[in-house]
Amino acid sequence: MDLLLIAVILLIVLIIVIILLVFWGIYNRIIRTENQIDNAWAQIDVQMKRRADLIPNLMETVRGYMKHERGTMESVTNARAAIMSAKTPQETNDASNILTGALKTLFAVAENYPDLKANQNFLQLQDELTHTEDKIAYSRQHYNDSVLVYNNTIETFPGNIFANWMGRKARQMLQVPEASKEVPKVSF
Amino acid sequence: MAEQPRLVEDHIRKNKRDTVLICMFMVVLLFSVIFAIGLVLNAPPIVTMIIALPVSLFYIFITYSFSVSSVIAAAGARPANPQNREEKLLIYKVEEMSLAAGLPTPKVYVQDSHDINAFATGHKPDDAIICATAGAIQKLNTEQLEGVIGHEMSHIKNRDILVMTVTVGVVGAIALLAEIAIRLLFFGGGSRGNRRDSGGAIILVIAIIFIILAPIFSRLTYLAISRKREYLADADGAYLTRNPEGLAQALEKIKADFPDDPKGSKTVAPLYIANPFKRALRDSIWSTHPPIDERIRRLRSM
Repeated sequence: MDLLLIAVILLIVLIIVIILLVFWGIYNRIIRTENQIDNAWAQIDVQMKRRADLIPNLMETVRGYMKHERGTMESVTNARAAIMSAKTPQETNDASNILTGALKTLFAVAENYPDLKANQNFLQLQDELTHTEDKIAYSRQHYNDSVLVYNNTIETFPGNIFANWMGRKARQMLQVPEASKEVPKVSF
Repeated sequence: MAEQPRLVEDHIRKNKRDTVLICMFMVVLLFSVIFAIGLVLNAPPIVTMIIALPVSLFYIFITYSFSVSSVIAAAGARPANPQNREEKLLIYKVEEMSLAAGLPTPKVYVQDSHDINAFATGHKPDDAIICATAGAIQKLNTEQLEGVIGHEMSHIKNRDILVMTVTVGVVGAIALLAEIAIRLLFFGGGSRGNRRDSGGAIILVIAIIFIILAPIFSRLTYLAISRKREYLADADGAYLTRNPEGLAQALEKIKADFPDDPKGSKTVAPLYIANPFKRALRDSIWSTHPPIDERIRRLRSM
C-alpha cells in the first residue's frame, strides 16, 4: 500500500512539474515574440532615420537643377516632416509610405533633367536612398512576420489563455505602400 | 500573401521534423558504436562510454572551432569590395536579407571563381560570413542573386552551420572510434578467448560487422541531413524574399553552368548552395545536395 501511495504522489508531482514547465515555456514565448516585434520596429526606425538624414543633402543637390519642380520637392520635405509628428507604428508607417511615394515621384521627374542625372553626387544619393527604401521594405516585412508569429502565439490554444491573463492583445501589421505592392527592386 | 507563408511553413515544419529524427538516429548510432566496441573488446559498457564519449565530444568540438577559418582559407575568399559595382550590389543584398531575417548583417566575402555558387559560415548568427563567387554576382540578375542570398541567410538563421559541423564531427568521431576498435581488436586480441559459447561468438561477429559498417551508415545519415537542410534553406529563403521564382531561376542557371574550377577540400561542399564537386555523384544518396530539378520543382510549387 505504501509503495502505491508513493508512486501516486510521485506521478502527481511529475504531472505538476510538467504543467509548470509548459506554463513557463508559453509565458516566455509570449514575452519573446512580443520583444521580437519591438526589436523589428527599432530596425525600421534606424532605416527611416538614415533616409531622413539623406534627404536634406538630396534637396540641396537637386535644388539648382529642378527650379520649376517646387511642388515635387515640397512634397518630399513635407512628407519628411510629417513622419516626426506620427505617434503609433501604424501612423509612422503611413507617413513613411507617403514619403516613399514622394521620393519615387522626385526620381521619376529627375529623369527629365540630363544634367542632374550626370551629377555624381545625385547618382550616389539616389543609389543610397533607393537602397534605404529597400531596407525599410524588408524591415517592415520582418516586422509583419514578427507580428504574425506573435498573433499566432496569443490567438491559438493554449497561448490565448495566457494572453488573456497577461492582458496581451493581437497586434496590427504595417501597410505596404499603395503604389507598389512589391519591394522596389534595384536593377543595375 | 496570406496563403504563401502557410505553404512555405509546411515545407519548413516538415524539414525541421525530419532533421530532428535523423539527428536522433545519429546519436543512437554513436552510442551503438561505443556499445559494440565494448562488446567486442570485452570491456564493460561503462568503461568504453567513459573513454569514448569525451574523446568524441572533444573531436567534435575541435572540428567545430576550426570550421570557419578552414572554410574561408579553402575557398580562397576575400572581403567584398564596395567600390566594385557588382560587389556593392552583393553587399546590399546581404544587408537586405539580414533585415528580413532579423539578424545582424554578416560579413560579405567574394570567391574569385567563374562558377555560380555561394556559401555561408560562422560560429553564431552574430558572427557570420556569406560568400558568393564572382561568377554568381556577374551571371545572376538581382532577383536571382537575392534568392541565393536568401537561401544562405536561412542557413545562418537555422544554425545549419552548427548542425552540419557537429554532424560531420559525429561522423568523424564514429570513424575514429571504429578505426581504434578494429586496431585494438586485431593487435590486442587476448580478451577474445573468454567467449566460449557460440551465442557469444555470433554477437561478437555482428558487433564487428557493425563497427566496420558504422562509418558508412553515419556518412549516409550525414548526407541525408545535409539534403534536408538544403530543402529547408530553399523554403526559408523563399519566405524571406517572398519570391521562390528568383531562387528557382538561379538554380536553373547553376544547372546549365558547368563547374570548371572547384576549390578547396570536399568537406566544404555542403556549405555551398550547389555541389561544386563531382557532377556525376550529384543526384545520388551520396550527394550532399538534393537533385537540382527537384529543388526547382518544389520552389515553383510554393
